[in-house]
Formats: sequence, C-alpha cells, structure tokens
Amino acid sequence: MNKEQTIDELKNIVKPYIVNQEAFDALTVETDFINDLKINSANLVDVILDIEEKYNIVIDNESMERMINVKSAMEIIETKLSERE
Amino acid sequence: MIGNDIVDLALAKKQSNWQRKGFLDKIFTKNEQDLIYKDINPEVMVWNLWSRKEAAYKIYNRQTNIRGYFPLQLECFYESETLGTVCCNGNFYRTQTTVSSEFIYTIAVTEKDYFIQIKNLDSDAKICKTNAIPFIIDEFTKIAKPVSISHHGRFWKGITIEFNTPVITSSPI
Repeated sequence: MNKEQTIDELKNIVKPYIVNQEAFDALTVETDFINDLKINSANLVDVILDIEEKYNIVIDNESMERMINVKSAMEIIETKLSERE
Repeated sequence: MIGNDIVDLALAKKQSNWQRKGFLDKIFTKNEQDLIYKDINPEVMVWNLWSRKEAAYKIYNRQTNIRGYFPLQLECFYESETLGTVCCNGNFYRTQTTVSSEFIYTIAVTEKDYFIQIKNLDSDAKICKTNAIPFIIDEFTKIAKPVSISHHGRFWKGITIEFNTPVITSSPI
C-alpha cells in the first residue's frame, strides 16, 4: 500500500471529527490530530476504532499511546498490517 | 500544578457514542467500567471520569513533557461524584468535579491546598502558549503564570493559582 493512498484513507477516517477545516485541507504527515485538527480527545477513540475496523487490525494500548498525529497513525497501520501477513 | 477539563453534556451526546463497541475498553479500566455500569446514569459517569482523566493528564503532560494518548494509564480512584484521585504512573492528582445538567467540570491539582487558591480567568485573558502549554503574563510582576484552559461546546473555563492571596482556612467547628 502506498503512502498517498494511506493518507487519503486516513483523511476520510478523521473527517467526521475534525474541527479545524483549514488544517484538514492542508493535512500532511506532520499534522497533529488534537493540536492542529482540534479533534476532541474523546473522539480520538473513535478515530482509533474506525482505523481498526477499516483495516481489520487491533491497535494495542502501546500503539494507541502514539496515535497523536498522521505520521504515527500511518506507521502503526503499516506495522499492524505487516504483522498480520 | 493544576489542570482542568469541561464537558458540554449536550455536545458530548452529539459527538460521542460511548456505547459504541470497544469505546469503553479503550479508555476505561475494569474498575472504572464497573462504576459506569452500576451508576443510575452511566452516561454522566462516563463524562465525569473522562473529565478527571483529562484534567489530570494536563498536569502530567506539564510535569513530564510526555505527550500521548494513554487514558487507561490515568486511573480514577472515585470517592464521590465530586471528589477523587487520579493516578498516572505513580503520580497522584486530587480532583474536584462539578456536575450539573448541562456540564461536567473537573479541576485537578498536585496539592490539595491548591483548590482554595484557584482563580478563574476571564475569557478575554491573553493566553500565550509554548509547546501547546498555555500561560499568562502577570500584569504586575511580568512573570509567566501557568494556566489551564478547557473549552467544549458552550463552555469555556480558564484557571490559574493565586499564590499571593492570604489563605484563610476555616477551623473545624
């Protein structure tokens, strides 16, 4: 799976929860879910559950800890997908 | 140190479905989930515990500079609807929670004496930030004072500690 595809999929996942549209439109791997997109911290659980459902993976607590920006979300998805294979 | 968190209950209802499969497991320990399920109003308990975790996290984040998403490590010890302690990796924070039909608001402190020294900020206070951690510049001393800000839906709360005010403790009757 290529990075651009993952970013697009991730954008679709976070879209319902974002508050800052400008930051969303300018989303890069460096974008922070809470500080930039202003996603409510309770909704970060929804983002994580949506990722789990979409990719059929389990995000353990250790990985969840790092789930604060696009970059780590992509790394976690990639790692979990490769573990599954 | 201090931290605060407010939950607009009407907005929380719209934004979150706490009954979603997996939701509680990701953020609440077994003991906390027991408190939620046993409560006559589980939804209010969800947000009561959540606001405690968030308020405590704000202090933990400042003390350790650790940023992350680890709600299960912020464990609530629930004493009553208004009082409790949150423990995070060996750090303890006292919490005071206000519950109304419109919102739930928690203040967490490292020392319980701070509760009586808390001063509310005006919503027009000039808030500065370094590394996403907010502070204000005291207009007289020009010293940076740490503040904690929480905003959700219809509600905004900003607090700081007023160390200079003489503290009058009420004596037991």
